[in-house]
Amino acid sequence: MASAAAILHRLGRPGAIRLGATPTGTPTRLPTRLASLDAMLDGGLPRGRVSELTGARSTGRTALACAIAAGATGAGEAIAWIDPEDALDPEAAARSGLVLERTLWVRPRTLDDATRATDLLLAAGGMALVVLDVAESPPHPHIHWTRLARAAERTRTALLVVSKRPHAGATAALMLEVTARRVRWSSGPGRLVLLDGLTCRVMVARNRLGPPGGAIVLRQACA
Amino acid sequence: MSKRDPHLARIACLLVPDLAVAAVVRADPDLAGRPLALTEGRGPHASVVAVSAEARARGVRPGRHSAAQARMILADLVLRPRDVAAERTATLALADVAASCTERVEIAADGAVLLDADGCRSLFGGDAGLATALAARSERVGLAARAAVAATATTARLAALHGDGCTVVPAGTELGFLAPLPLACLAPDDATAGTLARWGVRRLGDLARLPEAEVATRLGPSGAALLRAARGLDARPLLPNHTRREIEESLSLDHSIDTLEPLLFVLRGLVERAIDRLGLAGIGCVRLHLGLRLDDRSRDERTLALAAPTRDPKTLLTLLRLDVEGRPPRAAIDGLTLTVVPQAIRPTQLGLFVPAGPAPEQLATTLARLGVLCGTDRVGHPVAVDTHVPGAAALAPFVPPAPAPAPAAADCRLMVRTVRPPKPLEVFSTRDQPIYVRGHGMAGRVVGAAGPWRVTAEWWRERPCRRDYYDLELTDGGVYRCFRDLGTGRWYVDGVYD
Repeated sequence: MASAAAILHRLGRPGAIRLGATPTGTPTRLPTRLASLDAMLDGGLPRGRVSELTGARSTGRTALACAIAAGATGAGEAIAWIDPEDALDPEAAARSGLVLERTLWVRPRTLDDATRATDLLLAAGGMALVVLDVAESPPHPHIHWTRLARAAERTRTALLVVSKRPHAGATAALMLEVTARRVRWSSGPGRLVLLDGLTCRVMVARNRLGPPGGAIVLRQACA
Repeated sequence: MSKRDPHLARIACLLVPDLAVAAVVRADPDLAGRPLALTEGRGPHASVVAVSAEARARGVRPGRHSAAQARMILADLVLRPRDVAAERTATLALADVAASCTERVEIAADGAVLLDADGCRSLFGGDAGLATALAARSERVGLAARAAVAATATTARLAALHGDGCTVVPAGTELGFLAPLPLACLAPDDATAGTLARWGVRRLGDLARLPEAEVATRLGPSGAALLRAARGLDARPLLPNHTRREIEESLSLDHSIDTLEPLLFVLRGLVERAIDRLGLAGIGCVRLHLGLRLDDRSRDERTLALAAPTRDPKTLLTLLRLDVEGRPPRAAIDGLTLTVVPQAIRPTQLGLFVPAGPAPEQLATTLARLGVLCGTDRVGHPVAVDTHVPGAAALAPFVPPAPAPAPAAADCRLMVRTVRPPKPLEVFSTRDQPIYVRGHGMAGRVVGAAGPWRVTAEWWRERPCRRDYYDLELTDGGVYRCFRDLGTGRWYVDGVYD
């Protein structure tokens, strides 16, 4: 009986759904599987919304995006990684937990093509998460963020934009800012110096679905 | 083991009465409803070999008139050369229609298609439903075919030719159905026809009533065969000879095409007809082969692979357009052959507690479009390459596996943004230790460093990978993976820790 109750709790009671009613209220969440981040974001990234992850070079943005994608693929979801800068390292991504078989890697040659590819994937649906990795590109004036946001909302796909500076502007429902970081090197007398990892601070700069201003510190070890 | 009852056998026949004309109209739908004559030979003395119903109604007869005579009878007559390739394509399209109902399909020499209706008629609610479905599906592939179901192939064929379009001859009534048909519908040779006419045999019923042994004695084996056909009996059982394979659509052009716009117009028709045939089997296209017959008597062949099976004509047309634009043919085009390699679209089993994932057909279309947009070699799932060279990557076709139970929570690992290909750097060193680096959007004093560690890989290549790697933290805030090529002594950056 306990399992039946759990199923009802998870899926809702039969007959409780009003036919023809438009679903309203807060969007469901895509868990990131990083406990502290999930706690800060009230369960994860909002599905059907645009989220943005900004920060300077070597602050750990890509690692955080990859961890979020790894969480989604680990849960059995399919994701897409739009990579106009051709920067994804499959071996490092696999070490960080990304299930490569569930990851569609698209490498457009230009930012325009990347936008079109994102639009196609959002419109097609079926992907839990689409990551648009433009971490080293300046903001593109011709990206129709409203169009992308609508497509994401229609297919309930979470769109995560990884960038140096904010791209999506007011269209982003959630903006995470990776601000401070400290590079850690192994040290000690007689020991070989190695890059150990880095520590970064992730702050919620904007949250239309909850209170902004939360922050966590993430330690990223070398993969 | 149960033995099949021959009295319950049912054969369906699907045929187009004027196949040559129907094939040309299928390739060029604008000709529908117009008086059309097909010719063999060149010039005004070319003989008319087939005519449309409109031309026949206005007096043009095949085999009797030349092209010039036909044009004198009918000023607005459209004359076209007979297109054997289009006829073959139309016959195969009919066979595909039949194959969408059953696997046992025979293509007769005259283009009629016979199929075993025994196993499949119950799927369509009986013989009438099967005949209606066959006729309707033929319409979908652009052919106005006649369908009939009877106990034997001979009866089914005659019923299709002389019936009302969808004819069912109930078991046991074959003789009654065939009796009023004229003897000419069995096309006897002139001598036999003359003899039978002297005997007063005008209809199939008259012939069927004669004793077979007497007819065989007087007319020989051909007469006996004619008698058996008049009784609706087959000389041999159904011999399936059609297997589903690549779908081919051909077209010969009256005038050469030398610009892209009309070529795309023609290609659209070919693609849509091929897709209609694919749709009958519910499968997708995974590869396209376009053969162009050129004005200078050469051929232009091109093969286009799709990222995943799809039936989206827009995607296929876009793919063809991009290929022709990128590599135009060297001469004007006289004829086209489009071959579509079919492949089943991957079915999925949905689960109650697992994510649904992308729908296979939708995913296939999206992948094909992404392939057109970015190149098929730039879309897929990433694969880690078995090599010691850092940052090596490859792609494999994206076919997401069935959802599996979720593993334990992951932690956050530092990633490397790969720089492909590695970019050259200017590095200032003291005692072999880098102290200042600039190049590729990075410049700064080294504030943290690790290395070197040597990577030697792919020694069997002409230029093996022999590098000394360093991790460098610069004052510009970046942490980079740099290396010195031991062959040339030059410095490069091939990754940014992020």
